[in-house]
Amino acid sequence: MKNFQQNLKTLEAADTQVLGVSMDSWFSNKAFADQIGVTFPLLSDWGGKVTREYGVYKDEYQAPRRVNFLIGKDGKIMEEQVDDAAIDPTKIVDACARPKLKN
Amino acid sequence: MLGALLWEGVSMRNRSSRVLAASLLLLATTAALAQSRKDPAMPKVGELAPDFTLKYSDGHDLKAVKLSDYRGKKNVVLAFYIFAFTGG
Repeated sequence: MKNFQQNLKTLEAADTQVLGVSMDSWFSNKAFADQIGVTFPLLSDWGGKVTREYGVYKDEYQAPRRVNFLIGKDGKIMEEQVDDAAIDPTKIVDACARPKLKN
Repeated sequence: MLGALLWEGVSMRNRSSRVLAASLLLLATTAALAQSRKDPAMPKVGELAPDFTLKYSDGHDLKAVKLSDYRGKKNVVLAFYIFAFTGG
């Protein structure tokens, strides 16, 4: 999440809203956001309905895998990063900086 | 007489083993069905992202965020993470 925060200006300049999602309570998410200085919403998928709809629920963790989706203004998925690759958001930041996204 | 009794015993055993086999089969089928009723796969690049409404706390209130509200306005990065207080 910190990595997205560090790139937030670039992402916002490219008309991009960042949303974190986990199965934690909104209470722990707020505490987490405050601790690491995240200013974008950390959404609570309590019960995991949305996590399962996106196919990212992992039994082993009883929680989501680490996955980033970049969703375009048309609501379609443009980029995906899974597990370790999802820690570094460069690919998504670069994709956002591409001019085609600025329409 | 003894033969008849023996035969009865054997057929009983057969019947119970058939019942056992049938229950095992039923169990296996149920397990297979449960396995196949898995979560949907991850949506692929180019597919529509499933809509949702989820909440977060801004410190005072709970606020709802609906994915489709950004349609036509903003791109959205949806970052699933394992637990609060983990790195990344």
